[in-house]
Amino acid sequence: MDIAFIWATFLRLIAALQVTLSVWALSVFFGAFIAAGVTWMRVGGIRPLEWFARAYIFVFRGAPLLIQLFIVYYGLSSFPAVRASIFWPFLRDAFNCATLSCALCTAAYQSEIFRGALAGVPNGQIEAARACGMSKSLLFRRIIFPIALRQALPAYSTEVISMVKATALVSLVTLWDVMSVALKIRNDTLVTYTPLLIAGAIYFVVNYMIARAFIFIEQWLSPHLRARSA
Amino acid sequence: MPDTQADSYALTVEGLHKRFGSLEVLKGVSLVAREGDVISILGSSGSGKSTLLRCINLLDTPDEGVVTVAGETIQMRKLRDGRSVPADRRQVDRIRSELGMVFQSFNLWSHMTILENLIEAPVHVQKRPRAECVEEAHALLAKVGISDKASFYPTHLSGGQQQRAAIARALAMRPKVMLFDEPTSALDPELVGEVLRVMRSLADEGRTMLIVTHEMNFARDVSDRVIFLHQGLVEDEGPPAELFSNSKSERFRQFIATERS
Repeated sequence: MDIAFIWATFLRLIAALQVTLSVWALSVFFGAFIAAGVTWMRVGGIRPLEWFARAYIFVFRGAPLLIQLFIVYYGLSSFPAVRASIFWPFLRDAFNCATLSCALCTAAYQSEIFRGALAGVPNGQIEAARACGMSKSLLFRRIIFPIALRQALPAYSTEVISMVKATALVSLVTLWDVMSVALKIRNDTLVTYTPLLIAGAIYFVVNYMIARAFIFIEQWLSPHLRARSA
Repeated sequence: MPDTQADSYALTVEGLHKRFGSLEVLKGVSLVAREGDVISILGSSGSGKSTLLRCINLLDTPDEGVVTVAGETIQMRKLRDGRSVPADRRQVDRIRSELGMVFQSFNLWSHMTILENLIEAPVHVQKRPRAECVEEAHALLAKVGISDKASFYPTHLSGGQQQRAAIARALAMRPKVMLFDEPTSALDPELVGEVLRVMRSLADEGRTMLIVTHEMNFARDVSDRVIFLHQGLVEDEGPPAELFSNSKSERFRQFIATERS
């Protein structure tokens, strides 16, 4: 056991955590907005938009994230038109490409979670709101959204956690995240276990904290599902 | 017709038709409720009695017919494919807020406490001051006998308590007419009484009520008038004393015989 090596490895990996968490947080955040739009198209009742949403989900949920990542980072840059376009300053950057790919991919999963949660809002509670004279927007804001949000949380937390792990793929498009630093240390030192186990532990701790946070949010939002004390 | 007599009616329904696909559930039903009338709507399942109630506040859209609440007629228009839709959504929302609806399955909002359920529509639909709504909500909860449950969530209440809370929620809108859609059908037998007692007290204070129910004794004792629906038409109607003792309808006599057995 080389304590000094373990400590040095740990410090380098923790430093790389910033990249991992940035890609993760930004892609989940923007993915949620894309997902909201896709869900709206999916259930809004306008046929062409519904087909578009279905196709979007089919493609981004169906193909491996790694392929999507490579297509965005290596594929798009091979088109002169893309390099000449106004998007090039954005797309030439590996971090942007990685975040964009992750956001597009998680959006497909998130929108399916949203759709399921919306479908699960009990019809009787919607009817009760309509019978009170609530307008469509009020009905959505006060009844449908709060109930759907609570129903979406367990599945949503799973998706958010799986995105932390998915960001390990960005190591393959030149980003220095936790995974790529671990691989670099392994290549440089030919020590396999130490960097990989420490990286794994870091992912584990991050995901544990995210899971705890979601449990806290769920309990805070769902006092009606707990047994009443006193 | 906005004549003086129609103005004094709390609710009139004329020639209501409703089709679900090829199935015609209502085939031209009319009824009139004066201020303070308690009207029970009876009928075997499939007779259209729930649909009638749901067409009054447009939870189901009638294909034909005119509904007038407190002198205001709900404006409808025909689409090109022949379907009938409300001409003005805002009018529908306003009229719905004047009709208190109580459902068979309570339908309290699960993410809100009982108090929040009661003040939700008064505050957000009717835009009344919150403090006033809270005060009134507490009074209503006391009236239905669950003032200790204001901070509870619906899942923590028994069925009978939930239904009483739902009645209080409807009352919180200060409705001109109360609509009850089989309010005791989802309750355990021992919980039916507490809900019927609340409804009886509402009838006693002169509220206008339309009640779809299978509770024969309640309908006979509390109603001013009973309407018996059969296959989408009013088969017989009248004061309960007359109807229950000598209805001219053979079907109604059969119906009360089977309901009582």
